[in-house]
Amino acid sequence: MANPTPYSHLYRLGLVLITGLVLFMMIMIAQTPASWNYEVWYRGDALVEMKSIPIVYGGNESCVECHADEDEEMAEYAHKLLNCEGCHGPLTLHVQDGEKTADAVGKSDWQCLNCHQAQISNPLDYPQFPGDISKHENIKKNTLCVKCHAPHDPALSEEDEDEAMFEF
Amino acid sequence: MRELIPGVNVTDINDIDSKSRREFVKKALSGSALMLLVYAPGAAALHGRGTGWKQMSTEHRYAYVIDIHACIGWGGCIRACKQENHVPDNMFRTWLERYVITEDGEVYVDSPDGGLKGFPPLNDEIQSKTSISFFVPKMCNHCEHPPCVQVCPVGATFKSPEGFVLIDHAHCIGCAYCVQACPYGARFYNTEIGKSDKCSWCYHRVQDGKSPVCVEACPTGARKFGDLLDPDSDVAKILAGRQWAVLKPEVFTSPTCFYISLPHEVV
Repeated sequence: MANPTPYSHLYRLGLVLITGLVLFMMIMIAQTPASWNYEVWYRGDALVEMKSIPIVYGGNESCVECHADEDEEMAEYAHKLLNCEGCHGPLTLHVQDGEKTADAVGKSDWQCLNCHQAQISNPLDYPQFPGDISKHENIKKNTLCVKCHAPHDPALSEEDEDEAMFEF
Repeated sequence: MRELIPGVNVTDINDIDSKSRREFVKKALSGSALMLLVYAPGAAALHGRGTGWKQMSTEHRYAYVIDIHACIGWGGCIRACKQENHVPDNMFRTWLERYVITEDGEVYVDSPDGGLKGFPPLNDEIQSKTSISFFVPKMCNHCEHPPCVQVCPVGATFKSPEGFVLIDHAHCIGCAYCVQACPYGARFYNTEIGKSDKCSWCYHRVQDGKSPVCVEACPTGARKFGDLLDPDSDVAKILAGRQWAVLKPEVFTSPTCFYISLPHEVV
């Protein structure tokens, strides 16, 4: 029987290293997604998948498809810059099981005060409640803003203001 | 040579003649040059690997502009973002901060529930000594050199050709390394899906020709989004006015989310 070569331990080590390397390469190739972008280092299909995420908020142009009349009125009003879904809830969720989902301004002032509660952090020229206190001194704690201010067209003319003062 | 210690020869600096000194300088310089030749291209190749804009779109390059003066802190943008992107409670892709700077120069910042339901009025004590107060919308800055992209071990987050910094949730392993890397705290670990999450500038909406939902929801125009390559876009016009600032310029991330009328106290 021939003597074993004195380098056999090195050969064995080499074999282990090569097997390890081949295994590593095989796993790496199998695990790399097919659309991998080697230059920027990401999965190309990710962009396609992200593009297909369904949209929840349709924007004002989607509301007009059903509510064309309101849209025409709004163009004249102080709240024309508002996005409908901000108060009425997103397009795909604003009506659920035949019921409106958003908090109606007729039930609470939350939506109004959310923007118009006086805050020193707001811009100076921004309309804030109570603002000119003499105009609001008659109101009670549970008086809803919408009693005088129409939610779509909240600005009052001077005549409207005089009338509103006697309503309480 | 001098024999200071018996048996040991020490070279005195005064004994070195100018020729050998010149030789030494020459060798040192050529050695450094060789080092630079070998090192510099290697470093350049490694630097910015997987980060920054390697494939830049020639059609669109988006940017975001936030006007601090216009923000009224109503929180509609936050609510819209939550619904559009299905962000779980107590996690925010974008949030509002209220800064209060007193006459003594003290800075107070609060963000009750991320500004989701707006802000309660300030208490009288702070209000009486306030010098200036304002709202600051915060979100992912979609940096040109995003540190979050650099640290991702699997390439799940990347800079898209149009400038979006996005997360590929199918590829993300949820190690949250990127959450720690972001200097703006804009990323969070979404416990519902077990992955990192962040603002995507509503990639799905923008590709459909719409604005990001926070921009859509903003009633005062404090948030604007547009294409820098289109000279007629709001954003391109605002940036042409040169009056912008970015958050933390000292970290060299080159944000593409720009602020107008940004007080220097904001971090």
